Amino acid sequence: MQAVGRWLAASDRHVGGNRFSDRLLPLLFVPVIFISVLPMLRLAAEGLFVQGMPSLDYLRDVMQSSQTWRATAHSLYTAALGTAISVLIGGAFAFLVALTDIRAKAALVFCFMIPMMIPPQITALAWVQLTGPSSALLNAIGMAPALGSPQPLYSAEGIALLLGIQHASIVFLTLRANLRLLPREQVEAARLAGARGGRLWWQVILPLTSPGLIAGTAMAFVTALGNFGIQAMLGIPGNYITLPTLIYRKLSSFGPAALGEVSVLAMLIGVIAVLGVLLHHHLLGKRDYRLMGVVGRPLDIRLGARRVIVEIALWAVLIAILVVPLMALVATSLVPAFGVRLGIDNFSFDAFYQVLFVQPATIRAFHNSLILSVGAAIVLVGICLPLAYVIVRRPTRLTKLVNLLVEIPYALPGVVLAIACILLFIRIPVLDISLYGTLAIIFVAYLARFLIIALRPVMNSFMQLDPALEEAAQACGAGLARRLRDILLPLAAPAAAAGALLVFLTAFNELTVSALLWSAGNETLGVLIFNLDDSGDSVLASAVAVLVVGVVIALMTGFQLASRHLPKGVIPWQS
Amino acid sequence: MMRKVLLAAVASATMMLPFVGQAAEKLVLYTSQPNQDAQTTVDAFKAAYPDIEVDWVRDGTTKLMAKLGAEIAAGDPRPDVLLIADTVTLEGMKQQGQLQAYKSPEAKAYEPALYDADGYYYSTKLITTGIVYNTGVSRKPTSWKDLADPALKNQIVMPSPLYSGAALIHLSTLTENPDLGWDYYQALADNKARAQGGNGGTFKAVASGEKPYGVVVDFLALRGKADGSPVDFVFPSEGVTYVTEPVAILKTAKNVDVAHKFVDFVLSDKGQKLVLDMGYIPARNDMDLPAGFPARKDIKLMAFDPAVSLKNAEANKKKFAEMFGAE
Repeated sequence: MQAVGRWLAASDRHVGGNRFSDRLLPLLFVPVIFISVLPMLRLAAEGLFVQGMPSLDYLRDVMQSSQTWRATAHSLYTAALGTAISVLIGGAFAFLVALTDIRAKAALVFCFMIPMMIPPQITALAWVQLTGPSSALLNAIGMAPALGSPQPLYSAEGIALLLGIQHASIVFLTLRANLRLLPREQVEAARLAGARGGRLWWQVILPLTSPGLIAGTAMAFVTALGNFGIQAMLGIPGNYITLPTLIYRKLSSFGPAALGEVSVLAMLIGVIAVLGVLLHHHLLGKRDYRLMGVVGRPLDIRLGARRVIVEIALWAVLIAILVVPLMALVATSLVPAFGVRLGIDNFSFDAFYQVLFVQPATIRAFHNSLILSVGAAIVLVGICLPLAYVIVRRPTRLTKLVNLLVEIPYALPGVVLAIACILLFIRIPVLDISLYGTLAIIFVAYLARFLIIALRPVMNSFMQLDPALEEAAQACGAGLARRLRDILLPLAAPAAAAGALLVFLTAFNELTVSALLWSAGNETLGVLIFNLDDSGDSVLASAVAVLVVGVVIALMTGFQLASRHLPKGVIPWQS
Repeated sequence: MMRKVLLAAVASATMMLPFVGQAAEKLVLYTSQPNQDAQTTVDAFKAAYPDIEVDWVRDGTTKLMAKLGAEIAAGDPRPDVLLIADTVTLEGMKQQGQLQAYKSPEAKAYEPALYDADGYYYSTKLITTGIVYNTGVSRKPTSWKDLADPALKNQIVMPSPLYSGAALIHLSTLTENPDLGWDYYQALADNKARAQGGNGGTFKAVASGEKPYGVVVDFLALRGKADGSPVDFVFPSEGVTYVTEPVAILKTAKNVDVAHKFVDFVLSDKGQKLVLDMGYIPARNDMDLPAGFPARKDIKLMAFDPAVSLKNAEANKKKFAEMFGAE
């Protein structure tokens, strides 16, 4: 704790302060505290009070249990290994696509974005089916394991592999936003000075892009930490318990202590996430690679004869991480019953007919999810642009604290965030209104959860902007509002738009936050998929998931087609 | 630009403001029945009482209890009526004073073992747990003891009592049984039976052939079989364990009269006919059984007491976790 205190107290230096506007800046934190910090505090209270009295009973029970520490160690191991895999895949993709002369970049990147849109539960299910005894693919080549043979994915490494694959696009996107600002001139200068091959990469490109790489790594780690779907689908049958699955189990044994213990475990996840972010800041703090902020011509490193090999490798990875789960998903949606092998003569579109025309919930859920995700994207951009500016350019204790706290709702398992929101918003003190049982509570929970997704890219782009631009404007007498409008916003707009799009795509089929918050008529697509699968209708669940992925791909295609009319950088996957 | 963003934000927030005002007669139901069954139950109730509006939430028992737990902690539990998986959960709520009693006139058509003598909860259907196997296997099990055969090492999957309420009742029933007891569980552990997750995952593992033998609730297996999944279901010779999807009224219910109507409805002939049509065993004595089930007299139910099960729950879970090296 002392270290955190010291760190918070560390620096109050201002870059070009302006007293009037500085006094107003803390107001920016009001919405953030309301949507993101208060629910966490309310949840923490659940763990620190027993029947209204302050008590450390839950804390002691949880901290003294060896299970807690085993789960923590497992969480750290899978999240770290998973992050390493994400960085490897996502980083390689970002560098190769952004800096080299490989062909069909637009298609590659477009496809690389999709795995993130497939719900993790479905990815896990697809991989288990793919590698299990009834695998259509392995059976076709006579390599399927025998009935009852152990499933290799039910292990720590299995969990890490799928976490890594699922979150590779996060690293990719964050890094790419950074690479976009990498001026060709600088690299060419290095080349002229004699830097070649490895040296060019290690001494010029990597340092210049390290803010994005570190941010992407931190983000992938935090995401992996809180991912429930994969850890549950692989960890529970594999008897490998992590913090999210331990929380889930505490909740299954319903009793008065359940919420208290869950709250303590949630704090533990929060602490790990914050430590991860502190490390991230520590690493970033040591570097200052501010670039001009004017997008130069993209680099174009020629790979020569190796180009074909690189291209084959990239497409092979894509087939593994995209085509495989997607095929499994489609196959499951077409079988007449679970476990039946799909053949040319027995496929059926009945599940699609059921979800589209018989059950009105599907259309309702599409409608709700669309409102929620578009709304969240718009509101978050509005909040994040000024917020990121303040955090980057006016580092005070408060801004640093907020910068840490917004990470927590994203790191917690969705179920835990949902409980926090119920506790706080079921009856809002003073106002005496209730958000519970309406779409509004899901909306607020989405704002809390996805704030960080919108915030980080904008922060990154502010960090890369050379303050000299702003200082020059200030020297000419431009106030904060004027500087924001004429200099900062235009330069940050692409990152903000990319963040918004990302929020929209992630929120559109979010599964676990809304699972506890929905009520009659307020279903989201995620709730629908979760409930169908949970009540044994996996085929119907797959059909809805196929429709969701279909709509997302259609929307992405729409953005792609519209991209020529949009400023460069708005579409996160566009070359 | 900024103004547009703000306007849009305000507009979307206003759209989602809570609806104020309530219908004269309303019922809030939390249920863990599968989606379609929940819809059917609600539709039938609304057909019988057209003036009553029903708000219902369907989720797995775990999630539903987490949601309800948070509501209770925040001092504002919403549901009037619960219709959820097992009597042990409700027995626990009864003992914590979270339920209210109601003596339903329909109770006389039920075995006394199927409802609480004080009227705190009533069973609505029997969901038995038996053996499911993938039809690809050569040995067809007929009894619980068959699963203890060392020849089936590494071939068995079952729901974990650490995650599933039905599995905890199953454990409690079998270990209280003098012929099986903890020795039987030890044999399963020696057979490296996988006991993690819930019924859905177990069924999927068997249907996909990943583990050819499983312990699972009847309707999942029988429905899957009827749809064409390569599985079959066995009512073991020693008898089956069962959960009963009981209905109960919360102490904090706001619509008590309507709640009484709902309890009577699900216990009535008409309500039980629905249960039958959905493919479950009705709890009411005088009802038929769904297609695919043996005759009622041929289904042997193993003895079970919710209060005993609740009392031993923590110790049972702990012992189980040690035995199976489960976490």
